[in-house]
Amino acid sequence: MKIEGRFDVNAPRAEVWDKVRDPAVMAQCIPGCEDIEEQGDDAYRAVVAVKVGPIKARFNLLVEVLEELPPHTVISRTSGDEGTRASVVTSENRLTLTETATGTQVDYMADVSVTGRLGKFGLGIFRKKADQMAATFVDNFSKHLEVSA
Amino acid sequence: MTQILQPETLDEALAVLAAEDEAMPMSGGATLVAMKNARLVEPTHLVSLDRIAGLRGIATLPDGRIRIGAMTRHFETASSALLTGSLSVLRQAAGKIANRVVRNMGTMGGSVANADPAADYLPALACCDAVLTIARAGGERELSILDYVEDWYETALEEGEVITAFTLPAPEESPSAYRKIARVTGDFATASCAMALTADGQGIRVAIGACGPGPLRDPEAEQALIGKLDDPDAVTALAERLVAMADPIDDVRGTADYRLALIPRLVRQGLDDLKKDLR
Repeated sequence: MKIEGRFDVNAPRAEVWDKVRDPAVMAQCIPGCEDIEEQGDDAYRAVVAVKVGPIKARFNLLVEVLEELPPHTVISRTSGDEGTRASVVTSENRLTLTETATGTQVDYMADVSVTGRLGKFGLGIFRKKADQMAATFVDNFSKHLEVSA
Repeated sequence: MTQILQPETLDEALAVLAAEDEAMPMSGGATLVAMKNARLVEPTHLVSLDRIAGLRGIATLPDGRIRIGAMTRHFETASSALLTGSLSVLRQAAGKIANRVVRNMGTMGGSVANADPAADYLPALACCDAVLTIARAGGERELSILDYVEDWYETALEEGEVITAFTLPAPEESPSAYRKIARVTGDFATASCAMALTADGQGIRVAIGACGPGPLRDPEAEQALIGKLDDPDAVTALAERLVAMADPIDDVRGTADYRLALIPRLVRQGLDDLKKDLR
């Protein structure tokens, strides 16, 4: 399942880059993110809780930065499970920052796969939930930049 | 391990649900048991509502309104002699749920609590202007079906709350119909339409199912259509309003675009059927 989107923020690219690479900021912006910690320079462990109706899941994720081209591109891989491996999630992610007349354009793309118990849940609903989470992230991230600007 | 409890009174059930964070109420179990077996839910307690008196059955209230207990099985709703005229849409919807085994097991309260966007009751109840009675430890509240679904599988029902009944306005003699597009008989709807003519035959109430998180209904657009049921452009305008409200998913039952294309056809065909019933 591909999740992609684009949004504009009113901040210079260098500042957006710093925020994107700051796990503390990301932890506050990712919906359901309960914990995030650095594992060396290029990897993070994160705990993210997701809820769809009565179905609740808490994923332990490892995010590895595969390639970093400052100050505009991060390519990363996310993998993780629910602890019991009841569901396994993997995703390949690409984030690109482009300078614009008014600030920065952020493009994100993730190719996500979920297998296991949550894979039984319809993909259509997953996409809606993923889109909602992306929208919440954009909202949180934009607010964060405004506050710190 | 999940503990199964079978309280005899509603207060007892609500007390357990209030006390235990991971307890879930269970009605017919048609969906919940399958979800539990698939480990999609892992409650510490399943509180069966089956032995609680007064939650089951359909009755006419002194003021003519109809009350359906939340534990009423689909087959009872599908064969109720009280759901006539404007309310027959709900009887028809119940009869189109899954198969006989599920209709013998499943309940209206359970189906609505689960709030599957493609299930049959939500649009039918929306068309009937149903009001839900929701109980929690120490109180109860009423809520319009139109305010009930908040997001995909998310409802106004809070932890510890249980739907106890549905109240419908007194039936009018005007016809109503439930139309369901499904891949095979008994499947969840690809899209569905619940429609009733108003008592004077001049307007309609219409709700679309399976094309968004909850049933789609636009009372304002229905108001604008009063007296213009024979004007195809006016009917199209209402259908377009419903299409604009829709937010369907792509899934095995159909693409989002296909669902959007079905809405105007369902509205037109539904209206044609009701007009035939009038003659």
